[in-house]
Amino acid sequence: MNICYDWLKDYLHADLPDTGEVERLLTEHAFEIDGVAMVGDHAVIDVDVLPNRSSDCLCHRGIARELATILGTNLQYDPLAHTPSLTPTDQIKVTISDPAACPRFTASLVTGIEVKESPGWLQDRLAALGQRSINNVVDATNYVMFAIGQPLHAYDADLFPQVDGQWQFGVRYGTAGEIVEILPEGGGTEPRQITCEGTELLIVDQSSNTPIGLAGVKGGQFAAVHAGTTNIIIEAAHFHPTITRKTARRLGIVIDASKRFENECSRELPPYGQFEIIKLIKDIAGGEYVGTIDEYVERKANPEVEVRVRTTNALLGLNLSQAEITQMIARTGSTVVEREPGLLICTGPWERTDLLIEVDFIEEVGRLHGLSNIVSVVPEKGAQPAVNVRQYYSEQIRHTLLALGFSEVITSSFQKKDQIQLHNALASDKSYVRSTLAKNMHNVLDLNFTHTDLLGIRSVQAFEIGTVFQKIEGGVGEHLALAIGVRQKGNGYTPKDDAPLQVAIDAVQAALGVDVLFTIDKGVAEIDLSQVIAALPVPEAYDNMVTRTAATYAQVSAYPSVARDIALWVSNSPGEDLKHDVSHLLRAAASDLCVRIDLFDEFTKDGKTSYAFRLVFQSKEKTLTDTEVSAIMDRVNATAEDQGWEVR
Amino acid sequence: MPEPIGHQHPLTQMIDEINHIFADIGFTFAEGPEAETEHYNFDQLNVPKDHPSRDMQDTFWFKDTDVSEPTVLRTHTSPVQARWLEEYGAPCKIIVPGKVFRNETTDATHEAQFYQLEGLHIDQGIHLGHLKGTLEYFFSQFFSGKTEVRFRPSFFPFVEPGVEVDMRLLEGDSKLAGKWIEVMGAGMVHPNVLAAAGVDAEKYSGYAFGMGIDRLGVMKYGVEDVRDNYSGDLRFVNQF
Repeated sequence: MNICYDWLKDYLHADLPDTGEVERLLTEHAFEIDGVAMVGDHAVIDVDVLPNRSSDCLCHRGIARELATILGTNLQYDPLAHTPSLTPTDQIKVTISDPAACPRFTASLVTGIEVKESPGWLQDRLAALGQRSINNVVDATNYVMFAIGQPLHAYDADLFPQVDGQWQFGVRYGTAGEIVEILPEGGGTEPRQITCEGTELLIVDQSSNTPIGLAGVKGGQFAAVHAGTTNIIIEAAHFHPTITRKTARRLGIVIDASKRFENECSRELPPYGQFEIIKLIKDIAGGEYVGTIDEYVERKANPEVEVRVRTTNALLGLNLSQAEITQMIARTGSTVVEREPGLLICTGPWERTDLLIEVDFIEEVGRLHGLSNIVSVVPEKGAQPAVNVRQYYSEQIRHTLLALGFSEVITSSFQKKDQIQLHNALASDKSYVRSTLAKNMHNVLDLNFTHTDLLGIRSVQAFEIGTVFQKIEGGVGEHLALAIGVRQKGNGYTPKDDAPLQVAIDAVQAALGVDVLFTIDKGVAEIDLSQVIAALPVPEAYDNMVTRTAATYAQVSAYPSVARDIALWVSNSPGEDLKHDVSHLLRAAASDLCVRIDLFDEFTKDGKTSYAFRLVFQSKEKTLTDTEVSAIMDRVNATAEDQGWEVR
Repeated sequence: MPEPIGHQHPLTQMIDEINHIFADIGFTFAEGPEAETEHYNFDQLNVPKDHPSRDMQDTFWFKDTDVSEPTVLRTHTSPVQARWLEEYGAPCKIIVPGKVFRNETTDATHEAQFYQLEGLHIDQGIHLGHLKGTLEYFFSQFFSGKTEVRFRPSFFPFVEPGVEVDMRLLEGDSKLAGKWIEVMGAGMVHPNVLAAAGVDAEKYSGYAFGMGIDRLGVMKYGVEDVRDNYSGDLRFVNQF
């Protein structure tokens, strides 16, 4: 959430540290900071409020209170400090069908106001948060929400029918098929028609039973405040988080208000919202406050929670005294009472709906004390654990196939078409899960054959070990599969591929010590590895880890590679050093664009040795032209001839 | 030319290395299904239906007609925690490396499928200090140099206290050296998770952690685009 730094001063006054310190304190003790930006004259801090604190910290007062808690001070000004005194009125009536769905609904009447532009300071603050100013009444509702977290909605009282001298609100579920018209979203101009499924909570004009909004999600056109509005009714309520969330998700509407209702702000909050907005409306729109109806049908108080000193230290790995723990929990605004030595009874402040069980308070102690104070306990080397057979035999197979020149791939679990389609796919070509590995393996062979020169290989040999999914009686079954593939020709499978494939299959069988029946199709063999492994003995311990050389990966160039061969007579006697020297010299002559050089033929005749090298060229910036590569090869040839080697 | 030796995929190389490092300090390699029930993927892990905490993991669902109970492609390897505890109870010391799925738009740092490493250690007297020490041990081995770890407050429904873990390699000339890097989420296993698995939370406590193995590859090998892991492209694999 965007937090305007200057706004925090309203609550903390001189106690507010500079922006850098605010960032540090919040990062270390509460929330990650996603960034700090200057918007106009204001520093705006993007605070990533955690889900469990979205009930009290999606507002400036909440963040200011959090800073006070971290600093060990109190707010200099706290709009939530005193229960607001509101004047009761019988001019508004509220009927709630399900108290669990709407535990509290408040509405205030203010008469004789003037709708106009908001004062500069208000426009300025909303602008800092990226909010467009509409008029003083609508801006006031937004402002109070960003200040203390209570969503509000204003109606034109003269456009809202009065029956028996009363404005009558109702809160009930929509009936299946019922149409609700809500305000346009995202800058649109046309109202949106919503067809109810029956789970949505609606706010209705009770006198005519007409829906006027989706509770907590979106208001309607009904009795909208306009330029000539003089009398207003302001609503502040508490709607059930799950009901709000379901409706918002179904309709794809996530707005500032619904986000707050979803996260279960305190049921105590609505009157504070009324108090703040009435004060603000009188200030910026004039008028007279008549009174408020407060229909509070289902209370929910924060529980008394037993917090043990011993358990707190045991979970955090600390050795804090009871006094220290008491002091830290009290800093959150909680009440802490010692029931007996080592046992504290803690109750979170009413706006903190997240402090419900012992570990909630232990977490507060941990982060306020500082997680940087946790001391590491070095783990002890212990007895080797039981062996995971799947991992053990998978590694055996890997090493067997690697030794035969097969490389391992991991491919996508998603397919364009297969047995099992997902309910919600990422893309139309990824909407099924794979039932075999073979299909992907054929693609791997096709894809890589074009890169054999670049890879310095003659044929593509690959394998994959991965999970596949199949329809079985009563659901989705899965098993680990092994697929092995060989491709020796670019234009596809040839029967010659079967021989090296059989060598691989035989080697796997020998490594596992069992005969297994592979399904073989066009150079790709596959097997249900789960089934094979289930019949194998459980080893006592893992083999020693293979020592691997440290690899540093370089991004693959997106441009094609070009291969050229050079064959030359070298008069010297053959040897590894010679081979290396020749290769080295040619490569140096071939420039940085030569990405690999491979010796692919050698023979000795009449005391002379012939070497044939394949040079592969590739640029990271462009497609190399034939002329460019030929020019390089001319240099390579010249270098060879300078050495007295005869280019064949 | 001689047929070169094959190349092992960096993810399975890392999983093998991770397994050996953790086996030395007594962790068992555990596994579970990739097609997981909603019950184990969410409910048993203190992630209630229609709760904002579910937003943290966008989920692929199987069709109702294909399954007898709501089933997802697991969004994390954490359901194996619940399955393991149900079967074997406490104490417990496991790692779970495995493929997981998130219904998210992909880019160079996000894939809809990736590998996660879950760790779970439950016993009497386990606290945040054990978590810190174990992670420092692991990273020091994995990145071949003394590594320190720090915690910041965080939230994951299956742990409390929940922490974000940053690591800093103190030695060597690796590009990673000297910098704090955010690597994973962790915390003390939530009492609701213990209770759901039938473990006595008064007697036992434990920590859990979860990190992306693909991301470890970005750090260890300098892989620039995690999607390359699943490309089947040997120009990628054969560099390892």
